[in-house]
Amino acid sequence: MQRIYKERDRLLRRAARLCGLAGSAAALLAMLVPGGLTVSTLALCLPLLLLLVAGQYLLGRSGRMRWVALILMSGMAVILLVGWSSPSPTELNLVERAVIGGIAAGALSCVALVLVVSAARLLGLFTAFGATVASVLAATRASDDATVPLLLTLCVWLAIALVGWWLAESVPRVMQRIAFIGRAHLAERYASELEAQRRQDARLLHDTVLATLTLLAHSGVGVSPAALRQQAGDDARLLRQLRLGGLPAPRRSGVYTLEPATESTLGSTLESVKQRFGRMGLDVDWHGSGQVLLPSEVLDSFLLALGECLENVRRHAGVARADVTITDDDTTVRAMVTDAGVGFDLSGVSAERLGFAESVVARLRDVGGNARLFSSPGSGTTVVLEVPK
Amino acid sequence: MSGPSILDALRGDVRREAPVVGSAQPGDQDRQGRRGRRPSFRRPERTEQTTRANQNGLGGRHLGIGLSLSGGFITLFLFGQFAVQLVEYPDPAPSVVAWAVLLATTVLALITAQRLSARMPDWLFATALAAGAGVVVLDLIGSWGEASSGIYPTAAAAVGTLLISLATVRRGRDLIAAALALGLLLFLGALTEERDDPLTFAPDLLTISLAVLPPLLGVAAVRGFRRMAQRELDLVLVQSTISQPQFAVGMFASEKLARIDLDAETLLDDVAKGRTALPLSAEKSTTAAALATQLRLHLIRGRRETWLHHAITESEFLGPSVDLHDPSGLAGMLDPDQRDALLRTIWLLISDATRAEASVSLSLGPIRPTHGVTARQKLRFPIQLTTTGVPRRRVDPETWQAIRVVGPHVDSSRDGSLHVEIECSIDNPADA
Repeated sequence: MQRIYKERDRLLRRAARLCGLAGSAAALLAMLVPGGLTVSTLALCLPLLLLLVAGQYLLGRSGRMRWVALILMSGMAVILLVGWSSPSPTELNLVERAVIGGIAAGALSCVALVLVVSAARLLGLFTAFGATVASVLAATRASDDATVPLLLTLCVWLAIALVGWWLAESVPRVMQRIAFIGRAHLAERYASELEAQRRQDARLLHDTVLATLTLLAHSGVGVSPAALRQQAGDDARLLRQLRLGGLPAPRRSGVYTLEPATESTLGSTLESVKQRFGRMGLDVDWHGSGQVLLPSEVLDSFLLALGECLENVRRHAGVARADVTITDDDTTVRAMVTDAGVGFDLSGVSAERLGFAESVVARLRDVGGNARLFSSPGSGTTVVLEVPK
Repeated sequence: MSGPSILDALRGDVRREAPVVGSAQPGDQDRQGRRGRRPSFRRPERTEQTTRANQNGLGGRHLGIGLSLSGGFITLFLFGQFAVQLVEYPDPAPSVVAWAVLLATTVLALITAQRLSARMPDWLFATALAAGAGVVVLDLIGSWGEASSGIYPTAAAAVGTLLISLATVRRGRDLIAAALALGLLLFLGALTEERDDPLTFAPDLLTISLAVLPPLLGVAAVRGFRRMAQRELDLVLVQSTISQPQFAVGMFASEKLARIDLDAETLLDDVAKGRTALPLSAEKSTTAAALATQLRLHLIRGRRETWLHHAITESEFLGPSVDLHDPSGLAGMLDPDQRDALLRTIWLLISDATRAEASVSLSLGPIRPTHGVTARQKLRFPIQLTTTGVPRRRVDPETWQAIRVVGPHVDSSRDGSLHVEIECSIDNPADA
């Protein structure tokens, strides 16, 4: 709440500064009309006007009441000086009247902007206005000359005070509205986080999408177009389901479920991986246990890592066959991916370049697992993946 | 161009660009850009929707009514002057007609603008300006050469108050141009007028000021108000990050992932339906490769960042001015009060600064070793806060208050830049 008032006061005092400086400029222009004020009056008026301008500038910076007082006193001094130093005691000339009006209405009314915010300050506003009117009356000796400057003063002060009050009223209103938007936005942020979570949870789906995209990135060379089309169609359908709010997971090739599972067997999902790679021209032979139960996020990471390893075999090993051996003990499930391909020199290729660290190791570490890589040129590659049960 | 509203700038910044594969995260762009209006700044789509749905009440119309009423007092004065000098006119007809036209135009413009949900179309503005020009010409004809008998333009000057009542429904620069044109017209009129007494120039000057200054000040007031609302909105929007968990996927990243998914779906669907021929063209396969890379990055690295990172990247004002260094994500471990205070601290430092080059650099950590039995349940780490372009004497007391909520601090000032080291202590999450 305090912030609102601070913002309001800052807005008002900046408006007051601008308003006052504009009014002072107008009064200065009127002063400088040749033949209006005597040189001695002008020489006395200009320093006072400078003081007035300084007060207005400082009011814009801090909004303190002492600057209001400075503005009022220097302004009224100019008014009285112009009125009382007039060469003709009976009637003020047009320039003198214009200067008095300009100072009283233009330069002094700016204080009204900072005086509308509380009851105590309103009292100050009436005092300031009263003093200004009194000084105009005194300067013109309450003659007919006073009519136009007084009318001008009254109207401009009313206008400025109204704007100030209106601005002051508008600030809490708009702040309330903004706070309301803030609350609505908080709900949107929650929704956005949930949405991101949901999409990231669809890891299995994204894994097959990734694999298909990678194939497409190589223009689909080496895979039969019909197989690739079918795979792309399956993936697009799943992505559509995901977009429409489901959480689809490919359980078997061609058959999908929208039910999120908390625990799944490895066997059925391994079969879908095998089919996927089969379509791309890599025969995968499974050995060992197919009936291991894993928490779904562990299973997802495990399968992604496995998929990435097989993808590497398919792309780099130069063979059409890979062996995957699954073993498990009390705490760990282990997969060994072996190929009899070209292999490579481990020291010659950085792990990052293979995308190995990023896609396999990081994913497994997320769920507390690990991966190790063994290879040498000409003797194939073996990757061991481990995840906790 | 439709008329402005509070969030006009915000909406204008939205680029509904087609998803561009390989582009950086929007919040990362233009880190070195100038503070204030950033043409490239874009808020998350959801933020856009929320603010757009709620922008009607942000005070524009309400403020417009106030300004119009206030302008009414100035018109009242000018009308009073007109009434006083009415008997002096050799031929009052042009000025009387000018007043009639002015009043009719003002009333019509106000009613139509309110009807059109506080927006003024170009044609209506042009009509109002044409009517205003007509009023000026008529009134100048009516008062031409009569300054010596105390006749000055009145309706012509009151055109300024017509402009002020449009301050919330038209762009500021339109109105400033119109007000300056009005001033120029009146000034030329006053300059070319034959006068016996040069002193009559002074009331003319006052009249011109009365015509030009109110619309200019009105525009300035509306701008100040809008800027304040804009900043407050920006703060409120990023304050929603405070309640995030230690690491979260930001709105930008979430949006981006959805977009990548959609792009992938489109591409795969095109392949499946045969709209894209196999084997793929070089261009399409590059797209597929870029999509795969981005998808990998989003899924594997997770794009998880602390609330503070999100707050800074999603804020129009903080983004270009705040530099965050938090390798271990310690900001995420602060409790909600500390987060709120830290955000407010940065905010106050940046938003109170008048100079545009003000910037804040934040560095969190490393965690310090603690000793003793009770200390073991606490984690301690320093937050180093360095400002440039914000001298110590310009720092608001409220800022220090906020800093104290984050933790005890030591501050020093060197070469006009302020350096604060906050000692942060939080409950050890391992004990929780």
